[in-house]
Amino acid sequence: MDSEDDMHDANDLESVDDDFYSGDTGMGSDDGDAHYDFGDNESDDSDDITSRQQQNYAILSEADIRQHQGEDISRVSTVLSIPRYAACILLRHYNWSISRVHDEWFADEEHVRKVVGLLEKPVEMPNARELTCGICFENYPRDCMNSASCGHPFCWACWRGYISTSISDGPGCLMLRCPDPSCSAAVGQNIVELLATDEDKEKYSHYLLRSYVEDNRKIKWCPAPGCEFAVEYVIGSGNYDICCSCSYNFCWNCTEEAHRPVDCVTVAKWILKNSAESENMNWILANSKPCPKCKRPIEKNQGCMHITCTPPCKFEFCWLCLGPWSDHGERTGGFYACNRYEAAKQEGAYDESERRREMAKNSLERYTHYYERWATNQSSRQKALADLHSMQNEKLEKLSDRQSQPESQLKFIIEAWLQIVECRRVLKWTYAYGYYLPEHEHAKRQFFEYLQGEAESGLERLHQCAEKELQVYLDAESPMKDFNDFRTKLAGLTSVTRNYFEHLVQALETGLEDVGSSNSQATCSKSSSSKILGNKSKSGKIKPAGASSAAGAPSRSMDDGNLWSCDHCTFANPKATNTCHMCEHHR
Amino acid sequence: MANSNLPRRIIKETQRLLSEPAPGISASPSEDNMRYFNVMILGPSQSPYEGGVFKLELFLPEEYPMAAPKVRFLTKIYHPNIDKLGRICLDILKDKWSPALQIRTVLLSIQALLSAPNPDDPLSDNIARHWKTNEAEAVETAKEWTRLYATGA
Repeated sequence: MDSEDDMHDANDLESVDDDFYSGDTGMGSDDGDAHYDFGDNESDDSDDITSRQQQNYAILSEADIRQHQGEDISRVSTVLSIPRYAACILLRHYNWSISRVHDEWFADEEHVRKVVGLLEKPVEMPNARELTCGICFENYPRDCMNSASCGHPFCWACWRGYISTSISDGPGCLMLRCPDPSCSAAVGQNIVELLATDEDKEKYSHYLLRSYVEDNRKIKWCPAPGCEFAVEYVIGSGNYDICCSCSYNFCWNCTEEAHRPVDCVTVAKWILKNSAESENMNWILANSKPCPKCKRPIEKNQGCMHITCTPPCKFEFCWLCLGPWSDHGERTGGFYACNRYEAAKQEGAYDESERRREMAKNSLERYTHYYERWATNQSSRQKALADLHSMQNEKLEKLSDRQSQPESQLKFIIEAWLQIVECRRVLKWTYAYGYYLPEHEHAKRQFFEYLQGEAESGLERLHQCAEKELQVYLDAESPMKDFNDFRTKLAGLTSVTRNYFEHLVQALETGLEDVGSSNSQATCSKSSSSKILGNKSKSGKIKPAGASSAAGAPSRSMDDGNLWSCDHCTFANPKATNTCHMCEHHR
Repeated sequence: MANSNLPRRIIKETQRLLSEPAPGISASPSEDNMRYFNVMILGPSQSPYEGGVFKLELFLPEEYPMAAPKVRFLTKIYHPNIDKLGRICLDILKDKWSPALQIRTVLLSIQALLSAPNPDDPLSDNIARHWKTNEAEAVETAKEWTRLYATGA
């Protein structure tokens, strides 16, 4: 146990280290800088966009991965004074954690060497003019043979075959050992490079690259289809949202699409729910009854209560009471009104199954409500993403022509579209959030829905401006004077919306904890959210979390004046009285 | 003829198998296919298979020695690591294969497997359960089967 803890500590230390390094690359790309860049930056737009967020991760291209890997190998090789291929074997064995390699090595070098198959003193091949290959049993001159550090000689052709077989078996080739079954000497990249075919060398080096990402707890591939970037993450740095250079957003922790403010567990539940058969079952339960004889589900879409099951069953029964139709007639009150059912229902005999059906129907409707909105925002987001690309690829150039503006000055439009895409994503997940928000927490639900509604309308405004209002300037024949006003408006809307959504995410992530659950407070929180609205229109700064915390104690805030607010009905009473004028509640 | 371009290694192995056979093991190539061997293994002494003669077939695939030979029992045998089709659960025939192993080493390993059944890594669940719950009785069954199927009678 102790050693494991040590390991974590070590890794954490290391990540601090890495943060330091990645800080270098991410410099000059904060939020703040993005604003200063407004006028005078020319070329590296795309870079700035990807690094808008606070950097607790770095996006690595294949070249970057190779470089990092090479640096790690060099570091271990230098510190332990071992060849690079040996350092590589060690690092791979300890999942590319330099600190672990160091720890294990300095704790018990002999043991580590034994485990990974690195001999301390290399053994030369037997000193004879001719040697017998241990695989094909042919004799060859000594200089046509080769061995790993253990000195077991094999001819080049057999080595090539051995390495090739192992490489085509998959990434296990990175742990290759000497062909001699009694020998555990490691076969490293040096031998592969020396003896394998070019094709195999390439495959091997590809496996090595993949291992550096896949076996490394600090690096993951971007999960977007076809994307070849990897992400190096600072473990323990909190925010899991990753924005890959391919513009895909995902969650570091669960590698699903980014889903703030919803947590990974809820997302997994929601995704499972969307895919699972359970919803089909709910539907069948809500909309069908089983045939009383053959038990197949029957959906009654219209018509009378006289149901005839399809062949081969052909059972005739009453939809209401599920009894055989032959029992129905004048006695039961006629064919179209089953009195037996009404009577039995009054006695409570049918309640249980009816109730279940009713509940399933309600829950299905509720789910459909949230799912539809989730899915609609999803497709809106896709659309916005496509618009963003068409903006980047064609429209921006056109606009720059029409309005005689350098493209670098039009970055605010891309910013706006990126914000729209991001907001759609957040909005989408608020529906999963809403679905799992407990039904009985009325105040929270009410506040949440209010915030969500505000978010919707704020985003609509931004979307409208970036789409419709921009069109005018795209269509214009000559530069328009008010283009600068448009710039100010769109940039303003972008930043207002960004702020609103950031605070929304924060508020939802803390579980709307500032909202109490009693009804009186629910009304308070409503009034506080109108404060948010007021703030927004004036300063563009919104703080739902802060505002709602004030909502928890509305009565105290009035104490400054000559009034006190009744805890029970909120009526403002003169200080002189101790009983509420309105409800006679005591102070 | 398929045998005309037989790798030197297979020829050498065959020669050695015939000239210096391992104790209790005989392996001879089929006349029409030099990659196909008829194998006989004597039941090791102090094992339930003692006194039995077990027939096996062994085939060297095209990739041999980069790939393991294919071996299976032809004689019925009651053993937790051998199923009713005669297939053998042995690591060196699968992932632990190494081209530096040979027919001889494979057959010796199978012989050793007869001496030391391993019910913790079974191929036949029923037999393995039998072995673990009542070893004495399982050993009796194995002896019985040896007498029934593996003696020349």
